[in-house]
Formats: sequence, structure tokens, C-alpha cells
Amino acid sequence: MTADMPGLPAMSAVGSAAAADAAAGRLVRLRDVDFAYDQRPVLRRINLALAPGDFVGIVGPNGSGKSTLVDLIDGIHQPLSGEVLVRGRRTDHYRRREMAREVALVPQRFDLDFDLAVREVVEMGAYCRGKDPGVAGDPEATLARLGVAHLAGRRFSELSGGEKQLVVLAQALMQQAPLLLLDEPASALDVSHQLRLFDLLRELNRDGLTVLCILHDLNLALHYFDKLLVLSDGEVAAFGPPAEVLRPEVVEAVYGVRAYLHRHAGRTYLTFSPRLRGERRGRVHLICGGGTGAGMMRELVDAGYEVTAGVLNALDTDEKTGAELGLRMAVEAPFTAVGDDAHAENLDLLRAADLVLVSAVPVSRGNARNVDAACEALAAGIPVWVDRRVQAGDLVGVTGRLVDAGARLFAGEGELLAALRDGGLRGLEPAPTGEDRPSRSDGQADGTGGP
Amino acid sequence: MSGAADTGAGWAAARGRAARSGVWPGVLLAGAVLCLCLVLALALGPASLSLRRVWELLMAGPVQGDLDNAIFWQIRMPRVLVAALVGAALAVAGVILQDLFLNPLTDPYVTGVSSGAALGATVGIVLHLGNLPWMTVLAVAGGLGTLTLVWLAARRRGRIDIFVLLLAGVTISYLAGAVVTVLMIRADEDMHAIVYWLMGSFSGRGWGDVEVALGVLPFMAVPLLFTREMDILLQGEKRALELGVEVERTKRVLLVTAGVLTALAVSVSGIIGFVGLVVPHIVRLLAGPAHRGLLPVSLLAGASMVVAADLLSRTVISPNEIPVGVVTTFVGAPLFVYLLRRGRRL
Repeated sequence: MTADMPGLPAMSAVGSAAAADAAAGRLVRLRDVDFAYDQRPVLRRINLALAPGDFVGIVGPNGSGKSTLVDLIDGIHQPLSGEVLVRGRRTDHYRRREMAREVALVPQRFDLDFDLAVREVVEMGAYCRGKDPGVAGDPEATLARLGVAHLAGRRFSELSGGEKQLVVLAQALMQQAPLLLLDEPASALDVSHQLRLFDLLRELNRDGLTVLCILHDLNLALHYFDKLLVLSDGEVAAFGPPAEVLRPEVVEAVYGVRAYLHRHAGRTYLTFSPRLRGERRGRVHLICGGGTGAGMMRELVDAGYEVTAGVLNALDTDEKTGAELGLRMAVEAPFTAVGDDAHAENLDLLRAADLVLVSAVPVSRGNARNVDAACEALAAGIPVWVDRRVQAGDLVGVTGRLVDAGARLFAGEGELLAALRDGGLRGLEPAPTGEDRPSRSDGQADGTGGP
Repeated sequence: MSGAADTGAGWAAARGRAARSGVWPGVLLAGAVLCLCLVLALALGPASLSLRRVWELLMAGPVQGDLDNAIFWQIRMPRVLVAALVGAALAVAGVILQDLFLNPLTDPYVTGVSSGAALGATVGIVLHLGNLPWMTVLAVAGGLGTLTLVWLAARRRGRIDIFVLLLAGVTISYLAGAVVTVLMIRADEDMHAIVYWLMGSFSGRGWGDVEVALGVLPFMAVPLLFTREMDILLQGEKRALELGVEVERTKRVLLVTAGVLTALAVSVSGIIGFVGLVVPHIVRLLAGPAHRGLLPVSLLAGASMVVAADLLSRTVISPNEIPVGVVTTFVGAPLFVYLLRRGRRL
């Protein structure tokens, strides 16, 4: 699986790994690492190299082996086969104290049910440095570096979750190790603490610290890290720059959800829908425009319907949303009336639908042909639902024809949502025979209104 | 055994607000309390001595032909010293075990060591081997023998599973107790001696017992070398590994130390309950959980508690004696329940 992934460093030709690592200045290297808890395999064929100054995030579903990978690098576990090298030396050749000077770990859970002062807790991090206070650093200074100097005298057990997280980070920094591993450090933090934490990690990284951080928030992963490692079911699914690694198809393969890329204010964001492509409950065609259909598009997609739309003008809000959601659409050039080609394409999409929805889109001469298309759908026996507010925005007086031809009026997005909540759009559920789509007659019989 | 709910409340009890301006104030205070207990224990009894007389006798050293001197040097002094050493050993073993197991209801007896030692001593009584040295040897052998068994049961791939150790210890305790019961039934005429020994007492302890009890001193020094490791282990074994502690080695040393301390203490005093359980909790409330203070203060407080309990045991219904284990239980049980209640309110 690793072979076709972008950015995975070539590392097949390895002679003396230790010598090669020393020459390449590698901090960490995993070669063909397999690991199992008792008989249950957790990691398979993991290859990974970290150089000093790397800033790498690890993402992946629960149980994909992220924490185990981090523990392997820290020498807490030993691989079943393959080897884990830190500074070119196998982790089982380290004493714990030596290892703590090379690798610091911020654990996912941290319990300390005793009445110790924050200062005492932070100071424990200097254990691996021995008794030399010059090297060990100062708990107060370390807390100050994280902006929480005022916590030094407090009781650790009285702190909030976010404060505890920073104190544990301070404890790890006291080890003064060149590599910092973090296991979901942001999971207990509110959004402001999350951003502060990742900004801090960025800063520490600029000062030379190598960071390898497990996190769940893919958007944070996308924005903060230089490289991402995607773990899936114990294997490396992808490794490389975030934008290359977190493509929707990779996210879908790894997490089993639909993913969409959106661009906003110069940044790229991922959003998710719970259902995968191919899990469709029916096909809905939207006639909309100017942002009147964007919300319904998303709701229908999330509910598992296949959605098409048209005719929309390119760069229209609904068109952009549809593009981000990966919808098939009949599109016309910007600020242009619907032409013959787009109309024909729209009719094709429409005829393949189980239901046609007309949003409260303003109707003018430019898009009046979409109403004609909906009428044709009715004529072909496809149910059409029309937002009851559409006539208010109808400048050319054509929408009345829809109602006359048997379209059903509905109360817009609110009613649609309610219907989806109640289990779906009546008549669009898959037939119990296991057929992909319901038959036409079902849709009519369910009272969506025939011609 | 102790479920999660029990332990939560127990630790809460240990989490009181504590004034901790360093280690020395606590150590000095505990030392002063111990001195007071020692002086009172030497002075009071069926034949009470004035403080001045205590001082004179102390300065004079053992002298032949003087009744006061004989009471002081041959009866009270060894008895008080054994009590102090046993109390100190049990308290230190209690701190070690509670913090290694991360379980507030642990005491020196859950590892099976005391039951093994009791079994050894019972065998000694049944075979009429006399108090010294065989009773002691058998008791220590029984204690360390059970520790070895429990140890082997808890060993998995070179690691000691603390939870299995706890369960195995309790199980073997019951087993040893059952064997003691069988021996008691078989040995009619010795039943009284066995029961009395099991209840714990310092009655009639002499200098020979002091020599055995002095064996605890080097072992009490061991955990003082591991205070930083023990602090870090409060965060759990995995976190301690991450911070650079050789966890398995530390656990091995500390468990053996606690086992030897318990076996030696039981061999000279029988079973004295609640000292190893309650003293560490009280000291945590006063001196905090950091071991630099907790260990020495617990050591001194344990000695004080047992010396004071022994004083009560031989003076309350004089000339009869209450077994000292009964006194510590009478004092310790309500105190512990109070701590648990208080913990729940926190």
C-alpha cells in the first residue's frame, strides 16, 4: 500500500542502517516494523524516517495503531520484527534514562490523583537529566515559556484539563530531548487552547525541536503540519505534505466517510458526510441557483442521496457548492441564459432522477427553461416538489404551470429536513427487493402526485 | 477486593490540603512526637518511674541488683525498641506498597508476606522450637517464601504485573491462614499460644528480639534512595518509563524491601494490623505525597503509633495486657473510616 503513496521516502536499499542514519542525520527510523499485542497484529510493515526539525502529524481512525507507533519510537514496546532506530541505535539498546534524554512523550491520558504542586510535577521531567540543575532547566522557566508561569504554585489536581495538558507538556520539555512525541494532545482542549497548543508546538519546532504529533482533527492537521502520516488498519496509507495526503479519496478510503474539500479565505478545509459514495438511497435533481439550493444539496448528500443539479451558472453559489460536493451538474457560462446544450444535459440528468426539487430560486428569462425541464419531468412521471415561495420570485410567470401540471408544493428546506429526519423522502427508499432504485410507480403511489 | 470506587474515595482522603514548606519541619515534629512516646513508654507501667528517674537510669546503663534498673533495661527498653522498629518497618512497607500498587487500601499484609510469616511462626510453636532463633527464622522464611510464590505468579515476560501480584498475595494469604487453622486444631495445647501470637504482642520481648528487629534498619534506608523514582511512579508505570525510570528494577527492589521489612516485623511481633494501612494516609494528609517527606515522617510516625499502642496495651487493664494488635485496630479502624468519609465529602 505504501508504494503508490506520495512523498514516502525511498528507503529500500539499506545496508548498515545505523551508519546510513548517522550519515543522513536521521533522528528516527523504522524499518519494516511489525507489532502485535499478544496475537492481535497492530502494526504491519511500517517504514518511516524522521530528520531533525521535522514537524509531522499522525492521523488515522481509532485503533489504527497511532499510539502504538509512538510507544514503539519511545522504546516502550519492542517490534515483533523489523527495527526501530533512534539516532541509529536500536531502542532496546537504550537504558530508559538515556532514551528519555532523546525522546520525550506527552501521553494521551495523564492521571495523577495526588496532592502534588505543579512545580513538583514539572520537575519530575528533569529526572533523566540527573541532579545537575544547570542542564536540567528550571520548572518555572519552562512553564513561563508555555505562558503558564502562574500555575507553578497551584495543586496539579485542581487544574482544568487544558492547564493539565500544558503542565504535562512542560514536564516533557524538561527532558530537553530533541524529539517530542505527542499523543492526541488536543483532544481535551477547547478551540482556543487547541490553537494555542499548536502555535506553541510550531514555535518549539522553529527553535529546533522535532515534533511527531497524533491528532484527530484533520483540518488542524492540514493547516499546521509540514508532513502527515496517515495510518490505516496498522499500515501507512500515506505520508507526505498535508495537501497531497489528505485528498478526499484517501480520507474516504481510510475513514469510510465522504470527504469534501472547500476553499475559504485562502485556506483549504475538509468537511465530511457520514455516508460513502455508492450507498445511495435514491437520486434527486435540484433546480436552484443563487444559493437557494446549497443547504438542501448538503443535507441530501449527507442523508445518502445521489444529487444532481442544473442548470446553474458557473461561479454561482449553488454551482460552487455542488462542485465541492462533487455533484454532476448541467452548467452554463456565468451571467448567460440557459443555452441548448446545457438544457439538453439538464434534461438527461432530470430523467435519471427519482425526484425533482425546485428551490425558491428567482425565475427570470435567463433560467425559465429550467421550469420547462421540470414540466417535462412531470410529463415523464417523475414527481416534482416545488418550494411554495418560488412564485414570489417569479418574474416571468411560468411557475404556475408546474402546479397545474401536478407538482407538489413544499415548505422549503425546513420541510425537507423534517422529511429526512423522519427516515427519508417518501417513495425514494430502496425497494426491499434489493434493487438499487425504487421503481417509478412506487414514487407515484406514495402520494408525491402524478400528472 | 478494592474496586475503582473504593480507591477513588481513598485517594481523595489522601489529598488534603497540606502545608509543606520543605521536609525538615515535618521530620523534626515527627521525631519530637516519637521521643515523647519513647519517654512515656519507658516511664509508665505497673511500676511507674518519674522522668528524672528515667534520665538517671538511662545515664547509669544496665546495673545488676537494682529492681528499677532491671525493669528499665531488661524489660521496658527492649520492648519499647522492638515496638518502635516494628512500627517504623510496617509504616515504611505500607508507603511502598500503597504507592507501588497505586491502591490506598493496600497494607503490608496483602502481599501474603505476613500470612506466610504467621504460618512459619505457627510451625515453630507447634514444634516447640522456642522463641529464638528458630521462631524468627521460620517466620522470616515463611514470609519470604510466600513473597517468592506471589512473585512467580505475577511474573509475565520479565515484568511484574502489580495487579496479579495483589490478587495472588490475597489468595496465598487465605491459603496460609487455612493451614494455620488446621495446625491450630491439630495442636490443642498450643492453640492459646498460637492465637495470642497471631494477635500481635510485645509482651516479654528481650534484647534477642531487638537484635532481630534491628535488621529492619538497612532495609528502611533502601526506599529513601528511591524517593524520586517513587514520586514519578505515582503517575503510573508507563509514564515513569517515558520519563526515564527503570520501572521493573525499581519495583523489584522496593517489593523485596517491603517483603523483608514485613517478614522481620511479623517475626518478632506477630500480626499488628492497621499500622501499615493508616499511618501512610495520615502522613500524606500532613506532609503531602512527595516521598522525600512522606517516607521519613511515616517511619517516625509508625514507630510512635506502635510504641504508644503498646503502652496502652499494657496499662489500660493492668496487670492484664490487651494484645497490641487489638489496640492498633481499635484506634486505626475508626480513624480509617473517618478518613474515607472525609474523602468522600472532599
